[in-house]
Amino acid sequence: MKSLIENRFGLLVLVLVALLALYGTAAATRPDRPGERTAGAAAQPRRVPISSVTAVCPAPADSRVGVVTPPDGGGGPGTATITAEGTGTGDGEGDAGDAGDAGDKVLDTLTAPGRLWQKEVPAGSGPVTVAATGSSAAGLEAAQTRRETSGGQRGLAGVRCVEPTASTWLVGPGPAAADVRLYLSNPDPARAVVEVLVYSGEGPVAGDTGSTIILKPGESRTVDLKELAPSPRVMAVEVRTAAGRVTAAARAIMNGGRGVDWLPAAAAPATRVVVPGVPGGGGKRELLVASPAEVDTLVEVKALTPDGTYALKGRELVDVPAGSVVSVDLSGGIGGQPAALVLTSDTPIVAGLAATGTGRKPDVAFTAGAAPIDLGSVVADNRTDGKRGSRLLLAAPEAEGKVSVQVLPRSGDAPEAFELGVAASRVKEVKLPEMDGSFAVVVLPLPGSGPVYGARVMDERIKDGLALTVQPLAAARTWALVPPITESVAAVLP
Amino acid sequence: MSITDSRRTHHTVTAIVVSHDGARWLGETLDGLLRQTRPVDRVVAADNGSRDGGADLLTRTLGSDAVLALPRSTGFGEAVAEVLKRLEPGGGNEWIWLLHDDCAPDARALEHLLRAADADPKAGVLGPKLRDWMDRRLLLEVGVTVDRTGRRDTGLEAREFDQGQYDGVRDVLSVSTAGMLIRRDVWDEVGGLDPFLRIFRDDLDLCWRVRNAGHRVQNVTRAVAWHAEAASRRRRRITVSGAHPRRLERRNALFVVLANLPTGPLLRALLRNLAGSVVRAVILLLAKQPANALDEVVAFGSVLAHPWRLLRARRARAAGRKQRYNAVKRLLTPPGAGYRRLVDRVQTYLSGGPVESAGRHHAVVRAPEDGEELLTDDAGATRRIVGDPGVLLFAALLAVTLVAERGLLGGARLGGGALVPVTGGAADLWRLYTEGYHPAGLGSDAWAPPYVAVLAALSSVLLGKTWLAVSVLLLGCVPLAGLSAYAATRGIVSGRWTRVWLASSYALLPVATGAVAAGRLGTAVVFVLLPVYAALATTLLSGEGRRARRAAWALGLLLAVGTAFAPVVYPLTLLLGALAALAFPRRGVGVSVAIAFGVPAVLLLPWLVQLVADPGRFLLEAGLHRPELVDPALPAESLLLLSPGGPGTPPLWVTAGLIAACLAALLMRRNRMVIAIGWGVALFGVLVAVLAGRITVTSPGGDTAAPAWPGVPLAFAALGMLVVAALTAGRVTEFRAAGGLRRLAALLVVAVAFSTPLLAAGMWIVRGTPGPISGNARDAVPALVAANSGGGERTLLLRSRGGALTFTVLRGRMPLIGESDIPSPDGPRELVGVAAAGLVSGRGGDDARVLAAHGVRFVVVASPVGPEVSRALDSQPALARMSLSRELGVWRLTQPVGMPPVPPGDPWHARWLWVQALLVCVVAVLAAPGSRDEDGPVQDRPETERELAAR
Repeated sequence: MKSLIENRFGLLVLVLVALLALYGTAAATRPDRPGERTAGAAAQPRRVPISSVTAVCPAPADSRVGVVTPPDGGGGPGTATITAEGTGTGDGEGDAGDAGDAGDKVLDTLTAPGRLWQKEVPAGSGPVTVAATGSSAAGLEAAQTRRETSGGQRGLAGVRCVEPTASTWLVGPGPAAADVRLYLSNPDPARAVVEVLVYSGEGPVAGDTGSTIILKPGESRTVDLKELAPSPRVMAVEVRTAAGRVTAAARAIMNGGRGVDWLPAAAAPATRVVVPGVPGGGGKRELLVASPAEVDTLVEVKALTPDGTYALKGRELVDVPAGSVVSVDLSGGIGGQPAALVLTSDTPIVAGLAATGTGRKPDVAFTAGAAPIDLGSVVADNRTDGKRGSRLLLAAPEAEGKVSVQVLPRSGDAPEAFELGVAASRVKEVKLPEMDGSFAVVVLPLPGSGPVYGARVMDERIKDGLALTVQPLAAARTWALVPPITESVAAVLP
Repeated sequence: MSITDSRRTHHTVTAIVVSHDGARWLGETLDGLLRQTRPVDRVVAADNGSRDGGADLLTRTLGSDAVLALPRSTGFGEAVAEVLKRLEPGGGNEWIWLLHDDCAPDARALEHLLRAADADPKAGVLGPKLRDWMDRRLLLEVGVTVDRTGRRDTGLEAREFDQGQYDGVRDVLSVSTAGMLIRRDVWDEVGGLDPFLRIFRDDLDLCWRVRNAGHRVQNVTRAVAWHAEAASRRRRRITVSGAHPRRLERRNALFVVLANLPTGPLLRALLRNLAGSVVRAVILLLAKQPANALDEVVAFGSVLAHPWRLLRARRARAAGRKQRYNAVKRLLTPPGAGYRRLVDRVQTYLSGGPVESAGRHHAVVRAPEDGEELLTDDAGATRRIVGDPGVLLFAALLAVTLVAERGLLGGARLGGGALVPVTGGAADLWRLYTEGYHPAGLGSDAWAPPYVAVLAALSSVLLGKTWLAVSVLLLGCVPLAGLSAYAATRGIVSGRWTRVWLASSYALLPVATGAVAAGRLGTAVVFVLLPVYAALATTLLSGEGRRARRAAWALGLLLAVGTAFAPVVYPLTLLLGALAALAFPRRGVGVSVAIAFGVPAVLLLPWLVQLVADPGRFLLEAGLHRPELVDPALPAESLLLLSPGGPGTPPLWVTAGLIAACLAALLMRRNRMVIAIGWGVALFGVLVAVLAGRITVTSPGGDTAAPAWPGVPLAFAALGMLVVAALTAGRVTEFRAAGGLRRLAALLVVAVAFSTPLLAAGMWIVRGTPGPISGNARDAVPALVAANSGGGERTLLLRSRGGALTFTVLRGRMPLIGESDIPSPDGPRELVGVAAAGLVSGRGGDDARVLAAHGVRFVVVASPVGPEVSRALDSQPALARMSLSRELGVWRLTQPVGMPPVPPGDPWHARWLWVQALLVCVVAVLAAPGSRDEDGPVQDRPETERELAAR
């Protein structure tokens, strides 16, 4: 050893050999970069059943309320309590919360998921609140449908019962064209401070005194939009809260007996909006595009039909001024085919569509921009018998979609679920099977499916014309994606 | 008095020799005495029980009648008094000439003294010039004075040669009793030497009294005596009293001063001495002279404890004290001298010199070693400092650092990377370190990491500003490392410019710039300390006994600091230390190594146990462990080129010159063994770096699993290589001198070697410090939340990063710098984590209730706020939104928040902290450069030259 060190080149060689050995070790143990990365990001979001849902059906008087929880929403106990608020005021001033407690009436308590609960709510009832926990909550869906064959509210009018949120967009006719009423409910234990912003064809309607509404816990209120903005023919409404949460729904009774329906909640402003559920057949189709942005925008409109993408002659591009709503008549454009519309723009937009049935006394129906049903969707109240028909309009704007459709009847055994595919950039119309009485339907995307948007169209041939209602498929409240989470003080650093 | 007026009076001189165990010198003393040109009239000797045949010598020389045998315990004053009692007065103007047995007068001493006495009839006491017995040219005394604190002052420099510079007859406050010529009537008038002062300061007291009686005390430099100072140099034992000589000396000094000062100055002197004694005792304690400190305090105490004795002495000295004080005052050392001496002493102490206890006039200055020029403080200091290469290097590195870190300086808050944004002050850090239960975050009763205490101490020094402490340590690590490498290698590497190269190459290593860019405070601190470790280890292995031991204590203390910041230092050095202890079988090395590694283990005890339980944490360091700060697949060549990867490191080729120079050093024939050892250390460092860079380490909180950053082992390896290269740098000079091809080769090697620091500095300046570190880190706690968290409510902070969500729980403020290293307890962390994820998913349920039970009142989503997250939180009935923007979302729990109770603290926590503080003080004192101990047992330079009888 000593002689090796004393040798002039011995030490150099020794060190070089050692360095080479270290290099070899380091090179051999070097991990592959991508492998390391995936190991680091191995944690994927976890799907967990939702354990608590509260939904409010805004005005179920004289309507049929359906409530359903899909059967596979996770085990364990759970109940859904359906409560009707007492002394319902169909059109009067909002009822005070303190009176509400006294008049509340529990309609039913559900413990077994997988079965549709349905009830005709008598006139005079206030909003119905469905509060579910545990296994009854996962996927809970509720809807109200009103059917009138005559009178001022002749037609089919259905709406999904929604959860309280901080922001709701509604797009439809304005007070100049219809009697539009806003139904607000605050089922939370906290006070809600609500602002109602109205956008008209001429721009945003300057909020005067009445645009801020304070709802006490449990309070519901009805607002006639004429008081806020009497003149718009078309409008977009944002109901947002400065504090608390609120459910918002609007019913439009068209002037001159031209039908009635609820405005479905539209997807929040985005640069790409898919409006599913443009029903086929005759009648008027009117697209409403609202831009809450502060600059004018150009919206590209594309229609998807069962035959493929359909060019809208002369209406591919719609100019939407800042803060206003533009109406585009598509009646001739689609040619009576069931369709979905894909709108893209530079600034976020909100979109809705009004469809009119055929006949001497037509009915109206509304659809709106919707979210893809990545986690599935449930429609609580459907009917198919004789003159009544229900069908799903599924659209796959990007890649081919594959879904399974499960029917949940009110009683009796559920039929086998069936699977179907939707070709890319197409719309598929699926007629729901004939069932005895009302039923619910569960649409679940299958693995490998592209994003699927959809809507349920229900119509009925009644005397003098076709009554119809459309409900865009909303993401089911079955699952929540729980993101992987770690505790790290590094969260304080950007 | 009547006799003094005649100028022509006939003198008679009685010489009194007092001997005690001084036969070694007595012969020459008697010889000198008997060969006086002006013969003494009478010679009487007193022998205080000599056991070395001194009495026989006296009897032989002087005859038995002239020798008085006294018991061994007799003091000098008593012996003289005893002799005079039996001696009838001589005729005429009688003088007494006092001689010690170790004090040989020059043949003409008496003649000159008497001539001076003739010249000034008022002279009552005359003393010769005292020179050293051994080195006969050395001046010992030309009169002695004292200051108001009792400190003796000869007015001479240490080891001052006699070149006639003080010659002349001068009035002095006192002269030594060795060779003192005193008129017998004056002696009788003032009562002779005070028997209470058996040893030390009796001469001063006597002369002061003589002055107060209106006589003069003069030093006659033409009269010369050689004095061995046998007693004070411990050439014979002083056993006149049981007390320690130093204590006795201090007591007598104080006593004499307090007894002879008039009342006004007395009170002032009393106060000054009270303060001075305390300060001196503290300094002596720090200088590791606890016995002397005790003496200091006891001496002062014993003077004060006997007020009657002092009052009696004052009464006896009352006559003339006040009247003559003005004359005496001129002869006392002026008051400023004491302060100047204290400053001198502190400066010397701080600069690592010997602490001398006798003031500058007795200091023996060590010859400055090479490289100590930085630390010594004397006349030409400014010029020497400015011209010193080390200072120039520091200035250059500082300039480079300031330019390269231009984006970081002057910001609102330093943070980012591994560094939690720096908030709070020294008090917060001290509280964090000392509290038994940490309420921050989710609450934890774990031990705070010890580096918090180091930072807190440094912050306290820097006026409580933690940000300043962190900035100095982290941002200033490059110039500091340069300075420490330059200063620490002075004992290892010769040649200042070689050391400049070494220090600049070391300071600008990729490790340093990487540590700054990633906010790695731990690596930065260890990077500065590593050269110091090397220097101390060298001293430990090669220094002589005490120095080696002191280096061991210092190494232990600094290792504890380094380990607290980056624990990998400890195993890394431990292995080398064990090898060194085996390879250097010198006596004491084993113990020194055990001290050096035992001190950190004991000082860091409870925290180190946690580390041993989770050995992976040895590879981590102070601050956050984040995967984005390390290169998970560090290339092998990067490790060999000393680049640890991650942000802020320069391109690999920058260090190529350094490696080439170090490899070239292997071809040199000299220092083969040292080169082999240096390369061994370097290879070992690289090996550890390879291991650290490949092992996946999980952070204490379990949130991150990523390889460790191999900065410290690579710095270690680099230091080994640099020392190797620097040691052979001398050959470059020789090659250059040789001319021809060799000269070319030498220039090439220098160019290659200097390319590394120059390129590294250039790259750093050009690139700046991009790092994740930022000078303006944002406060993650919104003001709205901070203002509403007065009751200790917690805040859940959520941030989505790369698809994953992270959360942390804060308590109304940003975490302190050590709090990030205290892991939250598993149970609450799991519960809150599940609840937070549930909230974000919008699944409903009782997640909010779980949060409320843990005291969480606010939920803050930090930038970027995803729409899904904000929608999910909005959909929670239990949350109410307070504010929402794209940058920040704040929600408040609507339900009442329950604050979890604070568990009772562990009583052992506080006790251990006290023990720890005590241990740190003890180790610091043991490690500090202490008193000059090279002289063996002599601790103080002579205060009094006095031999005295004993038992």
